[in-house]
Amino acid sequence: MSAQNQEAIFRRWLDEHLGLMLKIVRGFAFAAEDRDDLFQDVLLQLWSSIPAFRGEAKETTWIYRVAFNTAMTWRRGEKRRRLGHENFIKLDTPAHTAPSHVDSVAEQEMVESLYAAIRRLPKVEGSLALMHLDGLSYQEMAEVLGISENYIGVKLNRIRKQLADELKGATYGV
Amino acid sequence: MEFEDLQKVWQSQSAAPKVTIDADVLLKEIRRNQRQFLAIIRNRDAREVGVCALMTIGFLYWGISSRWWSMYLLAACCFGVGTFFVVDRLAQRKRRPVKNDSLQACIESSLFQVNHQIWLLKNVFWWYLLPLLVGLIAVAGSVVWAKREEGTGAMVVTAIIYVIVYGVTFGAVYWVNQYAVRKQLEPRRHELESLLANLK
Repeated sequence: MSAQNQEAIFRRWLDEHLGLMLKIVRGFAFAAEDRDDLFQDVLLQLWSSIPAFRGEAKETTWIYRVAFNTAMTWRRGEKRRRLGHENFIKLDTPAHTAPSHVDSVAEQEMVESLYAAIRRLPKVEGSLALMHLDGLSYQEMAEVLGISENYIGVKLNRIRKQLADELKGATYGV
Repeated sequence: MEFEDLQKVWQSQSAAPKVTIDADVLLKEIRRNQRQFLAIIRNRDAREVGVCALMTIGFLYWGISSRWWSMYLLAACCFGVGTFFVVDRLAQRKRRPVKNDSLQACIESSLFQVNHQIWLLKNVFWWYLLPLLVGLIAVAGSVVWAKREEGTGAMVVTAIIYVIVYGVTFGAVYWVNQYAVRKQLEPRRHELESLLANLK
């Protein structure tokens, strides 16, 4: 794959799937600094993975895989390779403030509570919750995680109940 | 509240959050970072193998010029350790985790790597310290033997100095390696094992 192709694919993924990457990052990291670190790692791994991308898997499946694999092995506060000092992104929204595209304050609060609940789950369950909330099929989730659809079904039953229970007490005006 | 309600609100997060990225700067930084990372790996490998190669050549030369047979042995030990480095690095290169693998496969290969690293450090005495120690003891023996004309006292003192220097140096190297296993690698292994257990 030529460097130009790699760059073109990377730019397109940034355009089309930035929201997905950010959701995963927020699902694993709370503090702005941690989110920034993890996001940088995800971008680096995505860039490195592009030459191996043959289009056999869906782009979103590929991005989920790379992002989850990076997030799973990411360790908070670990000194690691950083991208340079040039500022290319600002992920500096305070943790309690959701992006403004979420319609109402009530919905913003609910989304924030969901992120918090996902971060409290074990990492594998958190990954499943993120994909399930995004509406991925069992087959797609199985492809990302490398486990059977039956097992995913069992896990998701527990996760759905757990998330619904955690947010049951709250009233968000929805 | 039902899960479907949560899902509906979740999906109402638009796919285009208000985050702006300067893709040109980002790409420049990523390329620079990748070059740096590859350079770090290359330098580390070159340093490890290079030190062994230099020591092999140096001791070989020393042996030829001084006619001390123990230097040949030390050169052979350094060559053996260097060869082990290279063979191990090449064998492990094929088993690096690939980030676009499924999560389970990626965790399994990460776990394999961590286990291998633990094995290497736990056995550092056998594949690194002992071969060097054999060569160095032979050198120390030669030096002590050369002192025989100065009397037994000189031989004993020289031998004691070597024992202390080797003991402290090799003991410290061994301790640092075992500390790294306890403080870094074993917690990492437990973390990966529990992730894997969650997937099974």
